[in-house]
Amino acid sequence: MRLREVFRYELGYRLRSPSTWSYAAFLFLLMGWGLVATAGDSAAAVHVNSPEEVAQGTVLFGGLFGLLVSAALFGDAAIRDVAAGMDPFLYTTRLRKTEYLGGRFLAALAVNAIVVLAIPLGFWVATLTPLVEAEALGPNRLAAYLQPLLLFLLPNLVLVGAILFTIGSVARQVIPVYLGAAGIFIGYMVVADDWSRIESPMLSALADPLGINALQAMHRYWTPSELQIRLIGFPAMLVWNRVLWLAIAAGVLAVLHRRFRFTHADGGGRRRRRRRISRAAIDTLMEWRGPMDLPQAAAVFGLRTRVRQTLAVARQSLAEVMSGRAFPVAFAGAIGLILLWGWNAPDTAFDTPTWPVTRLVVSTVLAARSVLIPWLVIAVYAGELVWKDREVGAAEIADAAPVPTGIALLGRFLALVGIIVAFHAAFLAGGILLQILQGYYKFELGLYLRVLFGLNLVANVLLGALAMTVHVLVNQKYVGQILVLMACLLSLLAGMKGLPYLAVYNSGPGWTYSDMNGFGPFLGPYVWFKLYWAAWALLLLVIAVLFWVRGREPGVRRRIARARARLRGTTLRMAGVAAALILALGGFVFYNTKVLNEDPPRNEVGRPQAEYERRYGRFEDAPQPVLTAADLRLEVHPGEPAVDMRGGYRLVNRSGVSLDSVHVVLDRNVEVRSISLDRAARPAVVDEETGYRIFELERALEPGGSLRLSFDLAFRPRGFRSRGIQTAVVGNGTYFDRRWLPFIGYQPRFELSDDAARKRFGLGPQPRLPGPGDAEARRRDTSLRNEGRVQFEAIVGTAADQTAVVTGLLRRSWTENGRRYVHYGADGPVPFGPAVFSARYAVREDRWRDVELQIFHHPEHGYNVDRMLAGMKASLDYYTKVFGPYQFRQLRVVEIPPYSVNGRALVTTIVFGEQNFITRAGEGRVDHTFFGTAHEVAHSWWGGQVRGAHARGNDLLSEALSNYSAMMVTEKVLGPEQARRVYDFQMDRYLSKRAEFESDVPLLEVEEHPHIAYGKGAVALYTLREHLGEEVLNGVLRRFVEKHRAGGPPYPTSRDLLAELRAVTPGSMQYLLTDLFETITLWDVETRRAVAARTAGGRYEVTLDVVAKKLRADSVGRETETPMNDFVEIGVFAPGTGDGLGAPLYLKRHRVRSGKQTIRVTVPREPARAGVDPWRKLIDRDREDNMADVETGATAAPRS
Amino acid sequence: MELRIRNVSKTYAKSVHALKDVTLTIPRGMFGLLGRNGAGKSTLMRILATLQQPDEGSVHLGDIDVIREKEKVRQTLGYLPQSFGFHPRVSAERLLEHFAVLKGIVEPGVRRDAVESLLRRTNLWEVRRQRVGTFSGGMRQRLGVAVALLGNPKLIVVDEPTAGLDPEERVRFLNLLSEIGEASAVILSTHIVADVEELCNRLAIIDRGEILLEAEPARAIEQLRSRIWRRTVSRHELPALERELPVISTKLLAGRTIAHVYAEASPGAGFEPVEPDMKDVYFSVMAGHHGRRRRADAEMAS
Repeated sequence: MRLREVFRYELGYRLRSPSTWSYAAFLFLLMGWGLVATAGDSAAAVHVNSPEEVAQGTVLFGGLFGLLVSAALFGDAAIRDVAAGMDPFLYTTRLRKTEYLGGRFLAALAVNAIVVLAIPLGFWVATLTPLVEAEALGPNRLAAYLQPLLLFLLPNLVLVGAILFTIGSVARQVIPVYLGAAGIFIGYMVVADDWSRIESPMLSALADPLGINALQAMHRYWTPSELQIRLIGFPAMLVWNRVLWLAIAAGVLAVLHRRFRFTHADGGGRRRRRRRISRAAIDTLMEWRGPMDLPQAAAVFGLRTRVRQTLAVARQSLAEVMSGRAFPVAFAGAIGLILLWGWNAPDTAFDTPTWPVTRLVVSTVLAARSVLIPWLVIAVYAGELVWKDREVGAAEIADAAPVPTGIALLGRFLALVGIIVAFHAAFLAGGILLQILQGYYKFELGLYLRVLFGLNLVANVLLGALAMTVHVLVNQKYVGQILVLMACLLSLLAGMKGLPYLAVYNSGPGWTYSDMNGFGPFLGPYVWFKLYWAAWALLLLVIAVLFWVRGREPGVRRRIARARARLRGTTLRMAGVAAALILALGGFVFYNTKVLNEDPPRNEVGRPQAEYERRYGRFEDAPQPVLTAADLRLEVHPGEPAVDMRGGYRLVNRSGVSLDSVHVVLDRNVEVRSISLDRAARPAVVDEETGYRIFELERALEPGGSLRLSFDLAFRPRGFRSRGIQTAVVGNGTYFDRRWLPFIGYQPRFELSDDAARKRFGLGPQPRLPGPGDAEARRRDTSLRNEGRVQFEAIVGTAADQTAVVTGLLRRSWTENGRRYVHYGADGPVPFGPAVFSARYAVREDRWRDVELQIFHHPEHGYNVDRMLAGMKASLDYYTKVFGPYQFRQLRVVEIPPYSVNGRALVTTIVFGEQNFITRAGEGRVDHTFFGTAHEVAHSWWGGQVRGAHARGNDLLSEALSNYSAMMVTEKVLGPEQARRVYDFQMDRYLSKRAEFESDVPLLEVEEHPHIAYGKGAVALYTLREHLGEEVLNGVLRRFVEKHRAGGPPYPTSRDLLAELRAVTPGSMQYLLTDLFETITLWDVETRRAVAARTAGGRYEVTLDVVAKKLRADSVGRETETPMNDFVEIGVFAPGTGDGLGAPLYLKRHRVRSGKQTIRVTVPREPARAGVDPWRKLIDRDREDNMADVETGATAAPRS
Repeated sequence: MELRIRNVSKTYAKSVHALKDVTLTIPRGMFGLLGRNGAGKSTLMRILATLQQPDEGSVHLGDIDVIREKEKVRQTLGYLPQSFGFHPRVSAERLLEHFAVLKGIVEPGVRRDAVESLLRRTNLWEVRRQRVGTFSGGMRQRLGVAVALLGNPKLIVVDEPTAGLDPEERVRFLNLLSEIGEASAVILSTHIVADVEELCNRLAIIDRGEILLEAEPARAIEQLRSRIWRRTVSRHELPALERELPVISTKLLAGRTIAHVYAEASPGAGFEPVEPDMKDVYFSVMAGHHGRRRRADAEMAS
């Protein structure tokens, strides 16, 4: 009866409370908005409301914010009695612990469960609104919404609620509850990493308290079609997991029940509304000896007083906050979090860690991953600062003191800034500690300070201003905190959703730090936007002053009246100043970003390209003269930044008909000072919007005739941009290619490629790239028209302290007029694609036979240069031996800032982003630098000497072969063990990325699927090598190079390579080519049982029960079984150390059929593990079941 | 049912002795516990109200061991703490009903009657639907009384209840308490001497955790007859007077200081005897001339 009463009372109280419904509204809106924000990506393969997406969205996103709401609800349920002072009454009734705690907890749980319904509801309603594109939606199924709710959200609520309620009841304060919620979140993230390493699937399924990892693991290898329609259902393991954790929740509550006592809190810092119980102070009698003389202290009010009052308020507020028990815990927690989150931040490919350089720590760990901490700190502590006086009952005393409202606010704001600074100091400590623990000591304190106490501090202080204002306006602490968090989230996501930065508080362009170029071109725009928002922050603080609650009139109308009354004097002046600054700075920013530069709204992006196609697309195949030679003179001014380009093209008419016009396409960002032909011509079309020009010749150009196009162009960006900040020409680390130089004739590559955008502008879908069997396709090796192999000479000038590098061969370098000049050229005609680099480089030079090797790198990045050189030499060694000679006399590596590509191979030049220079490899571990270098060098053959036709499957000839070649070099130099690790990585890359793409294609037809080209390609070729033998495969490749080295149409396609491979593959293995290249084939092999019996001669006979299956998938992932009769390795291994396999006792290929089969082998020693495909070479989504532990027994009867 | 407190001691952390060996016997009726702030009153009240545990000693309410059988005590306990509050957004009526259920008044009809009668008694019937957050200090106090009185408790512990009440409310409150005191044991702790003087059957004076005096008010006053002397002095004479004689209290009246002095016989010229009142008892005891000395005498005798 009493339990029911407690339950009903609490339920009624909470349901009547507006904050409960505001939490529900918050979650509802958050889900809806989250869905709308992420649904814009038209590349998504699955419907945004497929069961998988619904599950992920509600459980992860909703669960995360639901945690905050739970902290508020359960925390309030636990401490309200004590906070209100009602506990002495409650504890002295007949109420028992079970009834009290049980009733409160159940009611809080019920309310929270009702609020949690807002999560799937918000998701569902969002799908009904027109804000989500209809074609991104599938049918809404009730089960898709219900299952995650029942399986994850509600049980997690019980667990989380039990923990938070216990914390609240024991601590009797609210901040520990928030800390508990943060701890749950953080703890979960931390453990999530370890969780994936648990071998046993049962243990790993059970060990997951919130079930989220289990959910993600379930989805990991699903195909697009599965993700589209398959419901999660109620898998047995997950249900047991829920039962287990519900039991643990009950355990937590049992602990609470034991610990809880109906007693007055014994001096634990318990707050009372009117008096503090001071334990230690012994009351002394006020000695009164007749009339007293009160000290005469005159009060002075002037500017100095104001300053001191402000500082006093600040100091006092800060001390109050920092002296609470929660603060040091939160502080230490922040440091701990940095360590935990950042520990594996420096990992890149192949598990190869990079050095935890400060840049990496600062940008990924501190700026990106840990952004939640400052938000929480600001939201919670701003509330504390605004509410503290009222909560302890000191408000009326403080309000009646002669402290102007503005100073009361300013002092508190300064205290908040102090708290933010303190947490940034924690970040600094965490970052440095992280580096020390990983053995890296170049701390670059200057960089830390600039980022943490410069850029980030400014952003967080602005948020602090907003937080204080929100808390002042919204007269409810918990609701205020939630609103502040929403505002933080919004400001972060403004960028993603394309909202204008001038309209969303504290938003603005981000920054990328580069070791070479510092904050480069990003600092200016960032600072200007922050100044603009600082003006707004000033206005916000003025508003906070106006609405500051002083005294006892919290009603809305009264506050508005008071606000109006307060708008005088200094406050009015401040408001005026703020408004003026907003207009001035806003105007300046607007002028720069919208007037001097283009920043079209989201749905206008792409219009120029659309117009280009619409107006001039018909000229696509019009005959035009071909570019055969170019001479260029480029003046690079890194400091401005600007590039002046002058030069000329030699155009030859190879079309066979006479030409009466020359079409020229120029980049729209380029200023055209002059462009002309060397004969009479009329500029018939000068279209500035699209950059298209048509010169009509007075006299037609006969076949075989040539003419010269001269041009004088400039790339001189003006002002600054907020989006698409140009990073090509920067202070140190300039890198640009030929895109600013003129193109001859209509170029299809500049058309709009985004399907959604094309539809918006009324263009049909782009025609697909032709297939590898298409004869037409062989005529071209690129989409570029009217350019073949080009002879070029380029003179590039740059600042005196920088070195310019151009793809090609260096002719000479000199200094002139205080600038450095270089002259590069190409000996024979090469594809015309000069890339220009300019930076303050250090150069390392070496030789390999008669090839000059150079590495142009940032002087500080020298520690991997040796490894790169080793890679270059080893690659040249192997490739020259196997594929044929390297066709140039120079090979260089140039380092660029991390703004554009990570690695690219150009003519004679390999471009590497900074990241590659800071990898760190342990002894004998796979080295990304080495592998990457080998891969790029391989491109000189695959893509350089051999140019594939511009058709689907082209990447097989360039990327897959380069990856395979790099794997071969790795094997030769670092050993087969390392090559195996690379193989595993490529396999995982292929399998795990399959789900992200709309369609799946066979290797032969690969087109823009990196995971197939790089991942599956490497796997396929390596597998082929295993079966055919290295000699045979390499022989095919060598002949392929010889055949196509000369170039010129017809260009080879993937089918040509396949044909060559077929020619050398024995009949029994032809199936491999079909499986690996022509189809999408997956295997599924499993060893059900492995039994060993000792034979008479002391040997062991091992019997394996193997089940095998081969599946063919179509482009959307539907699978059908196909008969299998393939060569698969069978292996038996001796006991090994740890989890690894021991020495192989038996390793041979057997024929494995579809279905069940028994395989018997004999081994000389006692085996430990045995099975099929031990080295996981088959493309199998579940490779854990390939091997089984061997059971040793007497003769084991084979089971079928 | 009488309340027997025997040798109760409680020490907070940092060796603050809140209660030292407190022994009291409290029969039915009003019992006043008088002492200054920090004397240990609230601690004792909380122990009696089952909200704290003494480190030593025992407390019995009739047969019930208060310390070990808390549940039984709570079944017949009414506690009005020194500072308290209520959930601000609930109405007085709902709150009272809630507590009624918690105190075991389950029968809906009986409960409604009890709630109504208490609200009328405390003059809150007109505002019973209003949220408690809008109540004034006195109204909140009265609601606290109503809660404490739910269920006709046999033991009522009231901690400093009249601080903050206006004179009318104070009188009404004290009358209410004395009515109740006819049927239950009411323990009233206060530092306002007048409360105790007028109403209590017995009183005790406590200071620094020790009981200095336990007596009936009339007898305590009687014991001081012809021991309290009064003299009017000027401000400058006062320090000299205090050095020579045991001055127990001083008061300013129209610019002159009136001093009360404790002495077995007239201390000298200018002194006149006064009829002692409770305040004199209190000050004498606190100054050490009475009470504690008496206890010491009793110990020496036994």
